[in-house]
Amino acid sequence: MERKSVWFVIPVLVFSGILMYLIGWNLYYSFTDWSIIHPSWKFVGFETYAEVIFSTTFKLSFLHSIEISAFMVAAGNLMGLLLAGLLFSIKSNSYRIGLMSIFVYPLAISMAANGLIFLWLFNPMIGINPILGKLHLPQPSWLTQDTLYSIMLVMLWAYSGLSMLFYLASFMNIDRSIIEAAYIDGASYFKIFWKILVPNSMNGFIVSTALLFLFSFRVFTLPYILTGTPISYYAETLLTYQYFLFGSSYFAQSAVVNTIVVIIALAVVVPYAMLGMKRWVYGQ
Amino acid sequence: MVNITVRNVTKIFKSRNKTVVALNNVDLEVKSGEAFGIVGPSGAGKTTLMRIIAGLEVPTSGEVLFDNEVVSKDGKIIVPPEKRNIGMVFQNWALYPNMTAFDNIAFPLRNQKLPEDEIRKKVKEIAEILGISHVLSHYPRELSGGQQQRVALARALVKSPSVLILDEPFSNLDASLRDGARALVKKLQETFKVTTLIVSHDPADIFSIATRVAVLVDGKIEQMGSPLDVYNNPKSLTIAKLVGEIITGKGVVTTVNGKKVIKYGNLIFQPAFEIPANDSEEVEFGLRPEDVKISKDEKLEGFEFAGKVIVKVSSYSGGAFRIVVSPIENEEIELYALSDIPMKVGDVVNFFYRKDKLKVFPVK
Amino acid sequence: MASRVGPIAKAVLKELVIIILVVIWLIPVYAIIINGFKSNVAVVSTNALMPALPFTLTAYQEAWSALAQPLLNSLALVLPVSILSSILGALGAYYLNNLTRSFNPRDRIIGNIIFALVSLGTFLPYQATLMPLAILMVTINLLGTYWGLLIAYLTFYLPTGALLMSIFIATVPSYLIEAAKMDGASDFNIFFKVVLPVTMPGFISTLIFIIIESWNNFFLPLVLVTNPNSALVSVAVRYFTGGFGTLYNASFAAAVLASLIPLVIFIFLGRYFIRGLLALGGGAKI
Repeated sequence: MERKSVWFVIPVLVFSGILMYLIGWNLYYSFTDWSIIHPSWKFVGFETYAEVIFSTTFKLSFLHSIEISAFMVAAGNLMGLLLAGLLFSIKSNSYRIGLMSIFVYPLAISMAANGLIFLWLFNPMIGINPILGKLHLPQPSWLTQDTLYSIMLVMLWAYSGLSMLFYLASFMNIDRSIIEAAYIDGASYFKIFWKILVPNSMNGFIVSTALLFLFSFRVFTLPYILTGTPISYYAETLLTYQYFLFGSSYFAQSAVVNTIVVIIALAVVVPYAMLGMKRWVYGQ
Repeated sequence: MVNITVRNVTKIFKSRNKTVVALNNVDLEVKSGEAFGIVGPSGAGKTTLMRIIAGLEVPTSGEVLFDNEVVSKDGKIIVPPEKRNIGMVFQNWALYPNMTAFDNIAFPLRNQKLPEDEIRKKVKEIAEILGISHVLSHYPRELSGGQQQRVALARALVKSPSVLILDEPFSNLDASLRDGARALVKKLQETFKVTTLIVSHDPADIFSIATRVAVLVDGKIEQMGSPLDVYNNPKSLTIAKLVGEIITGKGVVTTVNGKKVIKYGNLIFQPAFEIPANDSEEVEFGLRPEDVKISKDEKLEGFEFAGKVIVKVSSYSGGAFRIVVSPIENEEIELYALSDIPMKVGDVVNFFYRKDKLKVFPVK
Repeated sequence: MASRVGPIAKAVLKELVIIILVVIWLIPVYAIIINGFKSNVAVVSTNALMPALPFTLTAYQEAWSALAQPLLNSLALVLPVSILSSILGALGAYYLNNLTRSFNPRDRIIGNIIFALVSLGTFLPYQATLMPLAILMVTINLLGTYWGLLIAYLTFYLPTGALLMSIFIATVPSYLIEAAKMDGASDFNIFFKVVLPVTMPGFISTLIFIIIESWNNFFLPLVLVTNPNSALVSVAVRYFTGGFGTLYNASFAAAVLASLIPLVIFIFLGRYFIRGLLALGGGAKI
C-alpha cells in the first residue's frame, strides 16, 4: 500500500483510541476511592474492588447478569436451533424468507419499545395473566419479584431469531448432496435434522453462543424499562448497577463494575473475533 | 520493451505446520521482445515465479531485474507492481464486474490520467484489433468466455506495456476456442513486439506462442530451450510428459546379437544411440504418438518393427483413434498408439516405431 | 395405512407449530398497534389483546405532538452517524484487508490488532464506558451538544461499520485487487472504483444495520442528552410510562411512532439488515 493511504484507517484508529482511553479510564479510577464522599480521591489499590465485590447489591446484580446470560445461551440456542430446523424444512423460498422476517423483526425494534409492549402484556389486570388464569396456568408476578423471568422471556423472544439465522446459515452450508442422499435412503426429516444438520452446525453454535452471550450481557434497557426505576432489587444487573453507582456519584465503584464487565466481555470477544471470525473470513 | 532477469530466486512459504520451497535457486533471462514460456505441473512453482516477476509476490532471496534495474530483491519489493508497466492477463481474466468492457479497457489509461478523447481513441483502436468493438458497452457477465478473454487482452495491451504476462490464458476457454485464441495472441505478440511471459501447463499454449521455454519441476528449472528442442530431447520422462503426449513403458536392457536393446514383453526397442544403462537394468522408454504406428503391414518405410501386439481397447480421443495394445507374450503390460482407422479388439497387429525418435531414460 | 396418514399428519402438525410460533411472535406488534387506537378508558378496562372498539386517534395525536421533535432529532443524528460510520469504516476495513493480505508478517500482525480493536468496539457492552465518556464530554464542553453526541455515537458505531465492512470486503477476490494494481490504480481508486462497487450490497447492509441499531440506541442518549428539546425518540418514549408500569393508550402510539422508521426499513430492506446480522457472525450466507 502507498504510504499516504494510512489516512484510510485513521478514523478507525482515532475512535478505537477513544474507546481504549475510556476502558483505561475505568481501570485507572477503579483503583481509587473517588466518590461523592471522597471528592479528592486517592489511590487505594484493590480496596474499592473489595468494597464492591463483597457488597450484596453487586453479588445480586452479578448473579442476575449471569442468570440472564446463561438462560439466553441455553434457551436461545435451543430455540434458535428448533426455529432453524423448522425453517430449513420449508421448500418455498418466499415463505421461508417471510417466516425469517417474523422471527427477526424484534431486533429492528428498540428494546425500549419492546419493554413498553411487554409492560402491558405483563400487566396483572389486562395483560396475559387473566388469560393464563382462565387456562388454569400459574400467573407469575411478572413485574415484581418475577421480573427476571419477564426479562428473560422478552429477550428470548427478541434474540431467538438471531440464533436461528446462524443455525440456518450453518445448515445451508452443508453439502446438498449429503442431505439428498439421506432422503433417497428413506430418512425422515427428524432423522436428517438430528443426524446430519445438528452435528454439522458447530460454526453456527459458536457464533450463536458468543453473540447470545454478548447481547444478553449488554442488557440494560429492558430491566430499566420493565421496572420503571433505575434500581430495582429484582432486576438489578451489572450494567444497571454501574449506572446507579454513576448516578449516585460513586465513580470509583462504578469504574470497578465497569472494569469487571469489560474483562468478562473481553474473555468472550477476543477468542471469538480472533479464532472464530478471522479464521472463517480470512481463512487463517 | 524490456528484458527480464531472474537471478538466484528462492521462494519459501512458511505456514504453521509446514514449510514449502516453491522456488529453488531459479535463474532465467527473457530477452526484450521475446515470447517466453514457463511450463510445469500444477504446484511446481510456475505461478509463484510469474507472480514474483509481476511484483505480486516477493522473493525470499534473489533478485528480479527489469532492464538491469532491480525491481525485487531479498524479501523486498523495490518497484511495486503498479509501477512496472506490466500488462497482465489473469487465468480468470479478472475483469471488473461493475464496469463495461469499454471502462475495463480504459481503466489503466484513466489511472494514468490521460485526456478522455485520447483514451477513447486508444480503446477503440485496440478493440478493433481484437475484434470486440461491438461489445464495448456490455458488462463482463453479458459476454462469452472468448469475448471476456479478448477484453482482458485489450486491457493488458492498451497501455503499451513493457511486459505482457499471461497466466494460463486459455484454460478457462472452451476447447474449440483455444486454437483461435492462441493464434490471436501469437499475432498480437508479433505485432506489438512486447516481451511476453506465458505460464501454462498445456504444452499447446507454449508451442503456439513461445520461442523459448523453461520447464519448472518442483521449484527448479530442469530444462530450457526452444519448444521443439525440449520436445525432441527431453532430459527426463517427467519433462517429456510435460511438453507433449508420450507413449511410455518400463523395459529391461538385454543384449541381442551383440547389441544392447530394450526388451518390453516380446517387443524389442533399439535406439539410435548407446543405451545409458547396463545389462538387465531397468529403463523407461518413450515415444511420441506420431513416432509410433500399428499396422497389419509387414514393413513400414522409416519405421522399425518392434514386435507383435494384440488390440485390447479401441476408442477415440482428440481427433484420432486411441488403441490400447499389449505385447502378445505379456498381456498384463500395455502401450497405446494412435491410429487413423479404428481397430478390432483381439486383432494381432505389428508395432512400429521411429528409431531416431526413441527416448530412453534410466530408472533412478 | 400408517404410511398414508403419517405424512399428512406430520405436515398438519408442522403447520400448526408454525402458526403457533408466528402468533406468539406477532402478538406484541399486534398489541401495540391496536391498543394505540383505543381510548384511554378502553385501554385500562379491556384486555390488551382485544381489538379497538371504539376506534380513536387521540392517542396518536398525543404521542405525535410529544414525539415530533424527538423524531426529527433522531433523524438528524442517525443519518450522519450511519453514513460516516459506513464510509469511514469501509475505508478502514479496506486498509485492514490490505494488511491482512500482505506478505509482510508485520503487516499481518498490525492487521490482527486492528481487527481485534474493531471487534471490541462492536461487541463491548458500551454502557460500561459511558461514565468516562460523559465525564470526557463535560471536560471538553460537549455534553448535551450535537457534536458531542455525534462523536459518542461514532465511537461505537464506526468500529461496527469497520467490522462489518471488513467481513464483506474479505470476500472480494484477490485477483480483482491485483488486476487493479497492475492497471496502475492508486489505493484510493482501487477502493472507490473497484472494491466499493463490488461490495455495494455489503455496504448497504452495513448502512441499514447501523441506521437501525443507532436509531434504537437507548443508553447513549439517556446519559448524554441533557436538554429535553434535544431528546431522541428512543428515550422520549419512556416518558409514556408513569412510574411503575402505568400505561395508557398514548404509550402504545408512542412505541409505534418510535419504531416506525426502523420497522419500515426492515419491511422493505430487511434482507440487508439480516445480511448485516449475519456479518456479525462472519458473514455466512443465507
